[in-house]
Amino acid sequence: MIWIEILSKHRDVAGRFRVDAAEISIGRGYDNHVILDDPYVAARHVRIFRDEEGRLVAEDLGSANGLYLGRSKSRKPQLVLDGSEPIRIGQTLLRVRDAGHAVEPERLAGSERGALPIVAAIVLGAALVALNAILVWFAQTSEPHLSDYLVPTLTLIGVVVAWVGVWALLARLFSGRSHFLRHLLIAQAGLAVFFLYSELAQIASFALTWTTVFTYGYVVSWVVFAAICFLHLREVGRTHMIAKGIVVGVLLVVAIAVQSLQRSEAFTNSGRPNISHVLMPPSLRLVPLRTEQTFMDDVAGLKARLDADRAELKPASVER
Amino acid sequence: MITAFVRTLRALLWRSALVAALCSLGMSSISSPVAAQGLPGADTVYASAPPRLLQIRTLVADAGRQTSTGSGFLVSADGLAITNYHVVSDAALEPKTYRLEYTGADGTQGAVTLLAVDLPNDLALVRVDKQDAPFFAFDKAALDGSVPKGERLYSLGNPLDLGFTIIEGTYNGLVEHSYNDHIHFTGALNPGMSGGPAVNAQGQVVGVNVATRRGGQLISFLVPARFAAALLARGRDAKPAAGDLRKDVSAQLANWRGALYKSLGDEGFRDRVFGSYQAPETRAVWFECWASTNASASPKPRASINATSCKAEASVYVASDLNTGVVEVSHSYAKSIDLNQFQFATVLTQLAQPRLTMGGSFRKWYTPQRCHEDFVGLAPAAEHPPLRVMWCAQGYREFDLYDVVLVAVTQDRADEALVSRLNLQAVAYDDALRLGKSFLERLQVAR
Repeated sequence: MIWIEILSKHRDVAGRFRVDAAEISIGRGYDNHVILDDPYVAARHVRIFRDEEGRLVAEDLGSANGLYLGRSKSRKPQLVLDGSEPIRIGQTLLRVRDAGHAVEPERLAGSERGALPIVAAIVLGAALVALNAILVWFAQTSEPHLSDYLVPTLTLIGVVVAWVGVWALLARLFSGRSHFLRHLLIAQAGLAVFFLYSELAQIASFALTWTTVFTYGYVVSWVVFAAICFLHLREVGRTHMIAKGIVVGVLLVVAIAVQSLQRSEAFTNSGRPNISHVLMPPSLRLVPLRTEQTFMDDVAGLKARLDADRAELKPASVER
Repeated sequence: MITAFVRTLRALLWRSALVAALCSLGMSSISSPVAAQGLPGADTVYASAPPRLLQIRTLVADAGRQTSTGSGFLVSADGLAITNYHVVSDAALEPKTYRLEYTGADGTQGAVTLLAVDLPNDLALVRVDKQDAPFFAFDKAALDGSVPKGERLYSLGNPLDLGFTIIEGTYNGLVEHSYNDHIHFTGALNPGMSGGPAVNAQGQVVGVNVATRRGGQLISFLVPARFAAALLARGRDAKPAAGDLRKDVSAQLANWRGALYKSLGDEGFRDRVFGSYQAPETRAVWFECWASTNASASPKPRASINATSCKAEASVYVASDLNTGVVEVSHSYAKSIDLNQFQFATVLTQLAQPRLTMGGSFRKWYTPQRCHEDFVGLAPAAEHPPLRVMWCAQGYREFDLYDVVLVAVTQDRADEALVSRLNLQAVAYDDALRLGKSFLERLQVAR
């Protein structure tokens, strides 16, 4: 007993035929055991039989378009079949397995997804909403309104759900399973990293006077975004991981390069660095007070930078 | 704010603009018989003005068309004339692009040669091609500063290129709260009259039309005649300026700002109490101070903010697209009413952004802004609250000057703070360091 499986492009089984003959012929004609409605397939295209060692072999019956193994581009008159790699005739992928083909052991129900991911998604979601509300609260310096909290919270939830929904849909299309929970966890984790970074950057810019953390904050945002996209793609299908990694990496580099260029051009145009000077409660200060003399020396040192800027800009002004 | 204006297609009038005036009579030989007949009218004052009065036009050299106009007046028989710097600034800074011409009130025309400028007082000395021409004399009382308030003055010039005009007005002494001396003239000056003379009934020059205050009624300003007389004495023998006057403008700007900031330092500061702190306010009389509060704001504020700001209108016209020189000292005392410490910090963040203002386009005049910020503790710690200090500066591309803003926020309490700001435009870096240091040292815990 032999099973002939017709596979989709993504190698899902689209049709399965049981044949009990010793030799099976496959083609477009109605005198075959398995009939393929593929215009690139010959009327009698290929036959499957067992050789002396009992292995299943496919043999080209003289078709115009030939017989190939998987994605290979080299045409074969005969192929020994192992039951895993499909053969290609015309534009159709076929997998041939005999009844003794070993299948994976049965998975235990519940082992794949326990309660943990659901709990994690709920906890992470609640943490994000709470963090968002706290940030709104801290920025609240006039009369509080309920809508100040509701609007950003609902916007956040809406955006996350829409984003996860799109990825789940893609996963459903390409791999047959939506994995909504996994996509949700990925988006939540990315958002959490982004929130934490921007808050820590603010605190560091005040508490440690690391004012430059803002300058490159956009790089971190893009890296986090690229990491999320890569993980989503991985959930959509675990094939072509290297190609996906390269595409995401290239897009990441392009995005960072374009934004760096745009920022540097904006700085050249306006002379204003795009940073804000953040103040926080004094108790968050982590570095010691500098003496007046140290500060005045640092500030005096700025003159050299300003003068270097002037020297660099001078040629342009002379031309004019 | 007292800037002058030149009437131009580009409409450059800011808050205040100046106008030029024409002048009138002039020679002392004529004036005495006139005076003997009692007060002359404007018609008498104007009667002898036309040969002494000029319209000074800036032309685009290639096109030969005027791009702005002002006024001027002869001050010597051999063709020396006074006008405003801002009337001739394009030609002074960009002599390849612009040139100057005059049209006399008597119909004569010719080229104008730039001899010298007085940037702080917005004056320029030029030579026109005239010999044995009648000219305006300076009023002796004006040179001594003894003109009585209320004296009738006549301002002359060519407003808006509409034709030569005489305007009656009143001498109202010197403007208060101003670093540079300006005569407060109550009369309707208009763009295009800049550089014209304001004369007394005898036709002697008391001042030079320079600016008006937008939003006021007939509030106009004159440069006192003594500055014009000094420029004439200094520039009488000057050769025509070779090339452009950029170096001269740059040096005058630097000297004038140096003197201004030295005076600011010499006048010193007095302490003023804000809640738990005391902070410096300048003693210099040329600052004007205003207070503001949010106590009556609606909805009811959740942090009270009381601010005072002392500002010196010491800005000067440097070029048609650069007006700079503001000095400002301000303090905002903020106290939380029912905000938590993070919310209060948000309020302080908004109050403390060290914004540098620009008096001209960044790409043409300034270098990029550079900032430094840190926590600073001054000794002895019992007297000085810990501070978060931000210092931002930008340089001028063509002058050895900088715009500097210093912002200090007290860090000893979570629910109240003083945000102090020192804003110095067009300052030498050493002056900024010196003033910034004494400013910080004056921020203290109230005794």
